[in-house]
Amino acid sequence: MRGSVAGLALWAVAVLLILGPLASFLVYGFFSVEANDIVYELTLANFADIAANSSYLTTFFRTLRLAFEVAATNLVLGYAVAYFIWLRSRLWQSILIVGLAIPLLMSYIIKIYAMRGILGTNGLLNRALIMLGVTDEPLTVLLFNLTAVRTTLVVVLLPFMVLPIFVALERISDTILSAAKDLGARESHIFFRVVLPLSLPGALVGAMFTFVLATGDFLAPELVGGIQGFTYGRLVFSQFGLAYNWPLGAAMSIILMIVALVVISVALRVGNPRYLK
Amino acid sequence: MKPGRLRDILLGSTTVAVFVLLYLPILLVFVLSFFSMRRGRINWQSFSVDWYVRLFENEALGAALYKSLVVGLLAVAGATVFATLVALYVNSARASRLSKSIEYVIYLPFLLPPIITGLSLLIMFRELDVPRGLFTITVGHAVFVLAIVYRIILTRLKALSGTLVEAAHDLGASRLQTFRYIILPNLRTPLLTAGLLAFALSFDETMITLFLTGAEATLPVRLYAMMRVGFTPEINALVTLVLGFSIVLTIVVALTWRNTTGLEGHSSRSSGQ
Repeated sequence: MRGSVAGLALWAVAVLLILGPLASFLVYGFFSVEANDIVYELTLANFADIAANSSYLTTFFRTLRLAFEVAATNLVLGYAVAYFIWLRSRLWQSILIVGLAIPLLMSYIIKIYAMRGILGTNGLLNRALIMLGVTDEPLTVLLFNLTAVRTTLVVVLLPFMVLPIFVALERISDTILSAAKDLGARESHIFFRVVLPLSLPGALVGAMFTFVLATGDFLAPELVGGIQGFTYGRLVFSQFGLAYNWPLGAAMSIILMIVALVVISVALRVGNPRYLK
Repeated sequence: MKPGRLRDILLGSTTVAVFVLLYLPILLVFVLSFFSMRRGRINWQSFSVDWYVRLFENEALGAALYKSLVVGLLAVAGATVFATLVALYVNSARASRLSKSIEYVIYLPFLLPPIITGLSLLIMFRELDVPRGLFTITVGHAVFVLAIVYRIILTRLKALSGTLVEAAHDLGASRLQTFRYIILPNLRTPLLTAGLLAFALSFDETMITLFLTGAEATLPVRLYAMMRVGFTPEINALVTLVLGFSIVLTIVVALTWRNTTGLEGHSSRSSGQ
């Protein structure tokens, strides 16, 4: 009896602070706006608007593609780094992992700001390119476009990718590896037939979370993307600022949420295949 | 032996490149907090701690920093209490399977894109007529960090052997006494780890906060606003200080974390700390 009272109290808080807000957000997507006032009547108008508006759709698919490219880049880079770290001694492993964690603690906004200092007309990258003789004039194509957004997201999300892959590699038991070796498998063989299949699920989970984070991000696109780097996250956020159309913003986020939920549930399934159970 | 060496060179150079990529922004901020830049070039003769001095005179940043600390502490306190209660509940035998599904609810704000968590809370606060301000930000942060605190505490609770609790009951301890003298001391390390980690998350949280902030800005929100109109260099000084602090914090977390995870084998030893 006491257990159920405690359970009810905990559920009440969870409903008030998590499920309630999520439910009201979902319902809001079906409201509409008239003369800056929200009309509390259910309608599919917002979704019809989104489907009919080619610039919304272009932005949506451009953002999905951007997020996919970021996730794929980070999967490759992250795997290489995680694998390298995994092959080191215990001491080096700890040092390198802490080394990856430290940039995570650096303010997100500041990292984006620093990326601006690197990619800008007078930035470090341009200086380096001029010094190397690659170009005579500073390149302006480095900042305030989608490439800048992509580069920035790759840099800020990379640590999130390396850590889960490293954990997946750590889980591979030494006995399996030495068994493969004893049976005469060559090193490349061990990697492609044992290590990669056992760690790829963990790596894909990391990539999918990177994808979800990249689709919803509006800070990096806003601060390094300029006009060309307009993404879906910015589109949603603008509905709560200047455009002031909360129901439309909520409807757009519902689409984002569906994408996120699909990707997350696939990630959970992929991350725990039968042969790893 | 040869392909192995080639592999190491390839992987090694990728790793070095990635670390350069990760640390270049940090290094730039650090250098610019001491040196000035002229036409895109760092002037190495211009060393000074001026920006640090000016930082302490910048009241707007000081106020934002203070608000970030207050929000972080309150959010972590709230989230920790709630997450611990949920973990105790889920870990107890009395809860039904259905009511244990509360743990999936707790994960939602962390798993969904922050834009959705922020948006949901914004809409609910509006409907409940709660004005945006420090209170709404604090609630947002507490909800956001809940998952991570819960996860850490639950892991420890599960590792805590049931015989310990049973022994306490057999020896006549009340439920409250068992909690106070058996469970709580065992949770000290994970509580500390979870609290520090949650605080770090809250301190940097920007996207949810942007939805929930009113006239009062936390540090990242303040920085975001400043960045759109152009930065003053004392930001570099502030960020360097915050980063130094964060590194110390990371090391503390890393050290306590080791104690938390390596628990099963020697639970009696770490519980005595």
